[in-house]
Amino acid sequence: MPSYALHPQVGLRDERFGALAYHYGNRRLTFLNDDKLVAVVRSAADCHDVDIALAGAGVDEAQWPAYRLALARLADAGVLVARD
Amino acid sequence: MAPCANIWRMTVVAPEHTAPAPAPADSDEPGDDDLVLADLLVEEISIDGMCGVY
Repeated sequence: MPSYALHPQVGLRDERFGALAYHYGNRRLTFLNDDKLVAVVRSAADCHDVDIALAGAGVDEAQWPAYRLALARLADAGVLVARD
Repeated sequence: MAPCANIWRMTVVAPEHTAPAPAPADSDEPGDDDLVLADLLVEEISIDGMCGVY
């Protein structure tokens, strides 16, 4: 599994629904609609495996494939950078 | 200040979502429910051309 880190040009602002990510480079806005996903994103840089971040955020293991997909989309959007 | 840096002054209202039930955990491959949940977890919008509007 890849690990991720928040892109250095991305600002993350907590919101009632989760968080709003703004990329100062590509000027894209991304809504993170879940507090657990936000926790994973914030802790991802400290984890060498994304599954450790998922477990640490309390994500139900049955939902890990969906969260991994969401993280991959965040990487595609430039919010996260993948670290293999 | 970078273009659109005042984005942080925006008030953001996101639609309410009801998360679907999790898919059975018998596979690491994402199923339809995983795709739906991933769509709910992450939403992207473009604000190109919106500078000066807010």
